[in-house]
Amino acid sequence: MNTAVGTRLAALGAKSIQDIGNAGRFGRFFWQTLVTSARSCARSRTYPLIWTQMHIIGVRSVPVIMITGAFVGMTLAVQAYDQLAGMGLEEHLGVLINISVVKELGPVLAAVMLAGRIGGALTAELGTMNVTEQIDAVRSMGTDPIWYLVAPRLLASLLLTPFLIIYADLMGIIGGYFVSVLQLGINASAYWTFSAYGVELWDLSVGVVKGFFFGGAIAVISCYKGFTCKEGAHGVGQACTEAFVASFISILALDFALAVIFKAIYNTFWPFRSLVG
Amino acid sequence: MAEENPKDKSQVSGSNGVLRIKNLTKKFGSNLVLDDITLSIEKGKTTVVIGPSGCGKTVLIKHLIVLLRPTSGEVYFKKQRIDNLNEGELNKIRTHYGFLFQGGALFDSLSVAENIIFPIKQHYEITDWRQVEELIKTKLAMVGLDGFQNYYPAKLSGGQKKRVALARAIALNPEIILYDEPTTGLDPIRADIINELILKLQRELGVTTIVVTHDMVSAYKIADRIIMLHNGKIIADGDADHIRNHPHPVVQQFINGQVSEDDLAVLRMSGAISQAQFLPRDFQQ
Repeated sequence: MNTAVGTRLAALGAKSIQDIGNAGRFGRFFWQTLVTSARSCARSRTYPLIWTQMHIIGVRSVPVIMITGAFVGMTLAVQAYDQLAGMGLEEHLGVLINISVVKELGPVLAAVMLAGRIGGALTAELGTMNVTEQIDAVRSMGTDPIWYLVAPRLLASLLLTPFLIIYADLMGIIGGYFVSVLQLGINASAYWTFSAYGVELWDLSVGVVKGFFFGGAIAVISCYKGFTCKEGAHGVGQACTEAFVASFISILALDFALAVIFKAIYNTFWPFRSLVG
Repeated sequence: MAEENPKDKSQVSGSNGVLRIKNLTKKFGSNLVLDDITLSIEKGKTTVVIGPSGCGKTVLIKHLIVLLRPTSGEVYFKKQRIDNLNEGELNKIRTHYGFLFQGGALFDSLSVAENIIFPIKQHYEITDWRQVEELIKTKLAMVGLDGFQNYYPAKLSGGQKKRVALARAIALNPEIILYDEPTTGLDPIRADIINELILKLQRELGVTTIVVTHDMVSAYKIADRIIMLHNGKIIADGDADHIRNHPHPVVQQFINGQVSEDDLAVLRMSGAISQAQFLPRDFQQ
């Protein structure tokens, strides 16, 4: 009995030590990536690398992001209509859809879509490079792989995720409008008027700023998983799965943390906007 | 265990080598891969490291360029200790090396020409592209692949990939070239082309060459010195004749490609093979 408990405790201890070690390695990778990326901004040699990644991460993601946004808006319209119509408030549907889209669902679902699309691709690409010794080859030629491989992907992701979220927001608003006005018969003028009253520039800004953090989290986690993936097809597959799961959880955790922070900022400073406006 | 041969060079390694390893030990977790190795690599010579698969040959040459850090021990390039340098400092040192990886490690997303100019672009500001094109042509001609500039690695055979990787490894005119299993996976003729290339580069460029292999034909052909690793230690060190006549049974077994008595005993076990043949029908009957 004691031996069994001892074995379990030893296994728990070993797992804890391993997890702490992994957290430390990720922390070091994250720090190296931040420092190298900051320095890369001043190196003109990095710009073509960033440009290439902006095309892969940004431009090629536009269609799936727009589809995601459109369906979010359309689904919200269908789901919320009955509740609001029951209270005679159906003309307020625009506020509910648009504030949900720009502040919460647009950024989060667009980021989840990006975690699947670019996160998986980044992990698979870097993981394959790792197991075929291409990352070692970069190092052997006197080049920092964080600078060459990770920094351009992080910077492209940081720069373009907010723009992709704007695309998702735009399509969500349009999708919501089409279902609300053309299918459910809500008055278009009332729909936009109530939307304009209910949605502030602040709400839109919060969603876009969230994109900056979500993009950073997706890129760093996916690159780290690629750099540390184990040998073989199974290793690369497992790294891709872990990258998506970790990115998804990070997006939700960041969303919560940022909601708390932005609410505090809003309550403190937004009432004074008229003083500077 | 046979007695160590007093004529083995590793017993008398000097301190004048272009690359030196001092009391190097490497562990992965609890797995001891290299055990207190001391070694000096002479400038301008070809040193071949042999040993069975998994004996730590690749781990050893990755320490020479500090792609791996030792658990304990020291690595020197010329007179400078390099195993304790940071990556930024190491990147400057690594420009003196060329490394041919086992699978070539060509960048899939870049063409042959882009692979070759990769190290040049990283360390030099290119102003005259015509000169660079000429350089790529020269390097590819050295490995017999001029005209393949616009090919992508996926379109190349295994031997061609290794030759392109070799052209990339010599792009910066290195003083030292490290080869990790350069002939593995190639047919004997392609393997001999690689051997001839290694000899040619050593003759024409005067580089210090370190080759890791378990191909004895290749080892005898190119080596000025052969080192054999076994259980993380150097068990033989000398020229080809010295290795051929080495008294250590493991060395003789390896160079003659003989299976050990222990392995044979397992195979000779009565019914071992039939016992291993469990097919689904055995369970159905």
